Amino acid sequence: MGNARLIRLGGAVTTGLYAAFIVWVYVNQPRTMAQVAGGVASTVGAYRIDQASFAQGISAFRGDRFPEARAAFERADPAEHDPRTQFYIAYSYYRQGFGRVYNDDALFRQGLDVVNRALAVSSSHVVVDDPNLGMHSAAELKAELERGLATELDDLNPLRLLRARK
Amino acid sequence: MRPAQSAAAREAFTLPLIFLTVTLLGGFRSTVGEGMRFLPPPLIALILATLLIGLLVRAGALAPERLMRSDRSPLENGSGVFVLAGLFGASAQVFNLMTPEAGLLHFIVTTFLILLMWNTWAARPDRPRLLRSLAVLFGGTFVLKYVVLASLYDPQGGLTKRVLTTLLEGVTLGGLQYEPPAAMTGYIAFFTLALYLIGVTLLPQAMWGGRAAVNAPDDLAPRGTRSIRSVEGEAWDGRDG
Repeated sequence: MGNARLIRLGGAVTTGLYAAFIVWVYVNQPRTMAQVAGGVASTVGAYRIDQASFAQGISAFRGDRFPEARAAFERADPAEHDPRTQFYIAYSYYRQGFGRVYNDDALFRQGLDVVNRALAVSSSHVVVDDPNLGMHSAAELKAELERGLATELDDLNPLRLLRARK
Repeated sequence: MRPAQSAAAREAFTLPLIFLTVTLLGGFRSTVGEGMRFLPPPLIALILATLLIGLLVRAGALAPERLMRSDRSPLENGSGVFVLAGLFGASAQVFNLMTPEAGLLHFIVTTFLILLMWNTWAARPDRPRLLRSLAVLFGGTFVLKYVVLASLYDPQGGLTKRVLTTLLEGVTLGGLQYEPPAAMTGYIAFFTLALYLIGVTLLPQAMWGGRAAVNAPDDLAPRGTRSIRSVEGEAWDGRDG
């Protein structure tokens, strides 16, 4: 009697956890197994990025080697669950797509997707304290990317040629 | 393990885990270059799942009263709820798995499935016949979606596409839209359908006069003999006593 009761209790807990995992999968729509593993790990607070790859990414980012930087950041955060790494990926799209005459809209759009992801996975504001950056928060970066994608009268202002990349 | 513990394990672990796995994998789709995604069931799949569960009960392949009833403890009834909820989710996802996701092909296959469910309802099969019928239905739709349609819409072409096109005497599918899944989806779909059939086979079946529901649909069973308390031998009551 007692054993059967324990079995049922164990079954209820296991089934409940499994059902919660299924709901999580359908809500978050992970695209790779790494994202599944990372998502589950971050849910229990056990997710860590690969610091060596992150350092390589930062080095390439500061040297304006943006595709290389993104590859390193993606290796560092395969689950796309670390807001700081995602912020740097979005920033790399901004810097690569920035142009004094015109911006590369495709890169800006990709940057906007990634910064939105950074905001989505973060439980608080994403603020990166890096003196080499002109923008330190995901909100600033998002606004800049959206401004870059918008078509407005100010695009015809010749003074735009003098603006600096942040 | 004693029979009561074995029954409790089946009700608390085996069946819910089988059906939840089917629920998870039933929506799995993988397309080349886009990674995986998980599709929730469309509304029509929920209706088909309801029809299928009705069929299972009618054929005696599922006896809901052996999972939930007033003289069982709350914990026992809770296990029963998990089994029934899992069965519903799994059934919906199995239909989601078998039908093309959108367009005219989705409409045609869904209509075919509704008519087939209706026909099976009218035929009043017993448990073994219903299970065999489900195996044929799942096998047929699996071959149609993951072999025939996947080959016809394969951008790389291939032997199957050439054979099918030749057999159909050069008929093309014209504007019919269909996105062929990656091979991985087919393998997972096969595993999922097999797992669902195993789960349905393991469900507590109706017993008439201590015998399993073989060739004894409701209207043929002697009046008053359909009682779970009279079950003997291997009957699985699902109680902890």
